[in-house]
Amino acid sequence: MTNKDLDSLNTLPVPPPRDTAKSAALSAALAAFENVQSAPQASVGNVRPISQSQPGTRRSIMTLARQHYALAASLAALVVAAPVAFQISQSERNAPLEIVRAPEPADHGLAKKEVPKLQSEADEKRKIASEMIATDSERQSAAEVVIAGQPASAPSIEPLPTAPSPPIGPSRDQVVDLVGRSQIGVTDRPGKLEQRPSDGLGAVQQRPIGVLPYDQESNRIAQSSEGGSEDARALAPRAATNLAAPGESRPNLHLEGGEDRDRFTAADQNPIKQTAADPVSTFSVDVDTASYAFVRRALNAGRLPPQAAVRTEEMINYFRYDYPAPESATEPFKPTVTVVPSPWNATNKLVHIGIKGYDLKSTERPRANLVFLIDTSGSMAPQDRLPLVKNGLRMLVDELKPDDTVALVTYASGSGIALEPTKISEKSKILAALERLGAGGSTAGASGIEDAYRLAEANFDKSAVNRIILATDGDFNVGITEDGDLKSLIERKRAAGIFLSILGVGAGNYNDRLMQTLAQSGNGVAAYADTLNEARKILVEEASSTLFPIAKDVKIQVEWNPARVSEYRLLGYETRALKREDFNNDKVDAGDIGSGHTVTAIYEITPVGAEKKGVDDLRYAAPAKPAAPVVAASASNELGFLKIRAKLPNAEISTPLSLAITDALSKPALSDAAPDVRFATAVAGFAELLRGSPHLSGFTYDDVLALAGPARGDDPFGERSEFLNLVRLAKSVPR
Amino acid sequence: MSEPAEAHNRTDEDLAQRAGAGDRRAFATLLDRHYDRIYRLAWRWCGARDRAEDIAQEVCVKLAQSIATFRGDATFRTWLYRLAYTTAIDHIRANQRLVTLQPSDMLSLVDGAGCVMQDDTIEGQELWRAVRALPPQQRDAVLLVYAEDLSHAEAATILGCTEKTVSWHLHEARKRLKTFLEQVA
Repeated sequence: MTNKDLDSLNTLPVPPPRDTAKSAALSAALAAFENVQSAPQASVGNVRPISQSQPGTRRSIMTLARQHYALAASLAALVVAAPVAFQISQSERNAPLEIVRAPEPADHGLAKKEVPKLQSEADEKRKIASEMIATDSERQSAAEVVIAGQPASAPSIEPLPTAPSPPIGPSRDQVVDLVGRSQIGVTDRPGKLEQRPSDGLGAVQQRPIGVLPYDQESNRIAQSSEGGSEDARALAPRAATNLAAPGESRPNLHLEGGEDRDRFTAADQNPIKQTAADPVSTFSVDVDTASYAFVRRALNAGRLPPQAAVRTEEMINYFRYDYPAPESATEPFKPTVTVVPSPWNATNKLVHIGIKGYDLKSTERPRANLVFLIDTSGSMAPQDRLPLVKNGLRMLVDELKPDDTVALVTYASGSGIALEPTKISEKSKILAALERLGAGGSTAGASGIEDAYRLAEANFDKSAVNRIILATDGDFNVGITEDGDLKSLIERKRAAGIFLSILGVGAGNYNDRLMQTLAQSGNGVAAYADTLNEARKILVEEASSTLFPIAKDVKIQVEWNPARVSEYRLLGYETRALKREDFNNDKVDAGDIGSGHTVTAIYEITPVGAEKKGVDDLRYAAPAKPAAPVVAASASNELGFLKIRAKLPNAEISTPLSLAITDALSKPALSDAAPDVRFATAVAGFAELLRGSPHLSGFTYDDVLALAGPARGDDPFGERSEFLNLVRLAKSVPR
Repeated sequence: MSEPAEAHNRTDEDLAQRAGAGDRRAFATLLDRHYDRIYRLAWRWCGARDRAEDIAQEVCVKLAQSIATFRGDATFRTWLYRLAYTTAIDHIRANQRLVTLQPSDMLSLVDGAGCVMQDDTIEGQELWRAVRALPPQQRDAVLLVYAEDLSHAEAATILGCTEKTVSWHLHEARKRLKTFLEQVA
C-alpha cells in the first residue's frame, strides 16, 4: 500500500448530495442560527417538569398507531426510547435535550431533511410548545406528527412520515418556523440514541435504568417539567448554549462519543425519601474507585468532570480509613457508625457508616492464580497506558508470593499468550515477558478474554484466588462486543470461581460503563489508573484487597425509625441500589469486600421535628402509625437499624450482622467526630458539589477545604493532600 | 454588512467571527461555502449518501449553535473539521452493528461494520471498504490525511492526538490495507 494508492481517496468521486438535502440543511442551520441569536443565553432556565409517562399520552400514541401502521413503527421506537433518553438527558444537565431518531421511512428521497425524522425524547415538551406556537399550516407536516406525538389533536396526524412528504420548499418562513421549533431536537448529540427497529442499542441503553434505585422516576419528573408554559424558543437556546464547542472541551456527559469518547452510565442522584412512606433503604457495597481517578484527571486538565462521571461512593471509598478492624477472619468485617450534624444543612444529620474488612495476614493469603489480560492495541501505545500497565504489573509481581502463578495474555488484532502460567519463583521469566509487550493492532477483547479464562481454568485451584486482571483503555472493537454476551460469559466464569477485575488506563476512549458492568459481573473491581502512582496504589498497595476477597455479595440495609427520622437520603450508591427483598435473597449478586478494604456509606437524615423538610407530609394520609413495631419500647433512642449481609468467599449462604443506630453514636458537633469521618464527609460534599446536587444549601468548595484540611491525619501517601488540591482546582475552574 | 458581495470576499475566520457576533449573512455565506466539504467528509466516513446528508445537516445545525464559541485558536477549517468529524463519528458509532466475530474473520467486518447501506456502485468501492474497515483511529487518520488532504498537524488537532501518533496510525493502516487488499485480490 503506497501513499499514491491512498492519495486516490482524495480524488475518487463522492456522490454529490441532493440539492434538496443541501437546501434543507442550510435552512435548518439558519433557523437554528436565528434561534440562538434571538434568545439571550440568560433565559436558559430549568426545563420544567413533565411526566414522560402520562398515561393519556401513551394511549393516544397507541390510537394513532392503530390508525396508521406506517406510523406505528416509529412511534413504537419513540415510546421505547423516550424514557431512556429522558433519563439520560436529565442527568446530563448540560444537554437536556436529546434526540431520538425514528426508524427511517423507506423513502430517503425528497424532503427527508425537513427534520421530521428527528424526534426528541422531550416530545411532550415540544408537543406542548408546538401547540402554543404552531398555529397553522405547517402543523400538517410530517414533522409535526412525529415530533409531537400529539395526543388529542387528530388533525395534526396527517400526513404520515411515510406518505409522500411535502416536497421540499415550503416557503422560507415555513421552514424557519418549522425548524425553529424542531431545532431543539436536531441538535446536540444527534443520532446518539438512534433507534432502528433492528438494532439492540435501545435495549443496551436501557439497561442502566433497570437498576435505578427507588423512585428515580418521580425525581426525574420533579426535576424536569410541566412544560405547559414553556415556550419553544426559550427552550431552544438551552441546547445551543450547552453544546460543547469543538476544540474546547466542555464537561459534558458523553454516552456515545463526542469529543472525549469516555462513556458513563448516567444515574440520577438518590432522592430524599420519607421514612413514613419508605423506611427501608437497601444497597450493595461498592469498593470501586474508578470515578475518583477520572475526576482527578479532568480537574488536572482544567475542567470539571462530567456530572455522570462523579460517583459519590467511589469518591469516598477511594481513601483508606482507619476504622476499627474485626478480630478474626471468621468475622469478615466490622461496622462503625457515627452520627454527626450535617455541614450543609443545619437541621439535618449525617449518618456515617464505616465498614472495615478483615485484614488477611500475608501468610493467610490463599495462593493466587492470576491471568493478566492486557490490551496491546495501538491505542495503548501512549506513555500513560501500556507502559503504565507494565510498570504497575512489574511492581505487583514483586509483591506476590513465590507460589503464586501469573500468566500473560495479550489482545490486539489477535490474541496471544505472552506467558504461560508461571510461578513467581521464576520472576525473571515473568518480567522478561512483560518487557516484550508492545502495542499494535486493533482490539479484540473477547477472544483475549476467552484465552485468559482458558488459562485460568487450566491452572484452576479451588483453594486459590483465581482472577483475571484486564488492563485496557476501553473499547472492545472487534469480537464479542455485545455487552450482554461478554457479561454473561463473565458471569458464567464467576460462577465457576474465576473472577475478573479491570484496570482502566488512558482517557478519551475509556468505556467506563462497559468496564463497570464487566467488573461487577466478574465479582471484581474496576479501577482507573492515570498515573504511575495510581497504578501502584491499585496494583500493589491494594493488591491484597483487590485480589483477595474476604466477603462477597455484601449488602447493606438500613431501616429508619419513623418516630425519629422523617426523611433520609443516601449519598451515592445510585448504581448499587437493591430492592428491599433482595437483601435476604442470596441469589442476588452484590459487591465484594477485599482484605483490609474499607467501605463507607453516608446518609443524610432529617430528624423528626425539624422545620425544613424536603418533602411535605401528605395532607390526607393517616399519620404514620407504628403498627405493632418489633421494638417499640427501646426504639425511642434508635434512629434506625443497620443490617449487613455477606457471604464468606467460598460460601453460598449469607450471614447477617446488625447494629442499632442509637443516640449513643451521635456526636454533638462535626468537629467531635474522628478525622476519618470528617474527611469522608468532606469528600462526599465535594462529590455532591461536582454532581450539582440540589441538596447542598450554601455549601461551597471552601467549606470542603475547611472540613478536609484539619482531617487529613497521617496521609502517608499524600492522597488526602492531593484531594485538597483537587478541590482548589475545581474551585478555580471557570463556569 | 451592507454589501452582499462583500461577504464572499471575506476569510472564513472573519466570517466566523462575524457570524458568532450574530451576523446572519456571514453565517449563510460560511454555510454555503462549506456545505459540500462537510457532506463530502461525512460520505467518506460512512459511504452512504442518505446518511452523509443526515450527518451534514446535523453538522450545519451544530455549527449554527456553536459558531459563537469559535475563538480563532485554530483555523476555521480545522475547527469545522473537528465538528464534522465528531458528529460523523457519533453517527457511525451509534449505528455500529456489533457482531460476534473472530479476529481471523476480519473480512466479514467489511460488510458489517460501520455502515449498513453503502453506495455500491461507487468507483473505488473496494478501497473505501477496506479503509472503513480499519480500526477507528487508523481509519480516521487515513481519511483525514489522504481523503481530506489535511496535514498531519491538522489531523492531529482534529483527532486530539500528536502528529507522531497520526503518522503511526497511518503506518499501521498502510500495512493493514496492503494485506487486506491482497487478500481481496
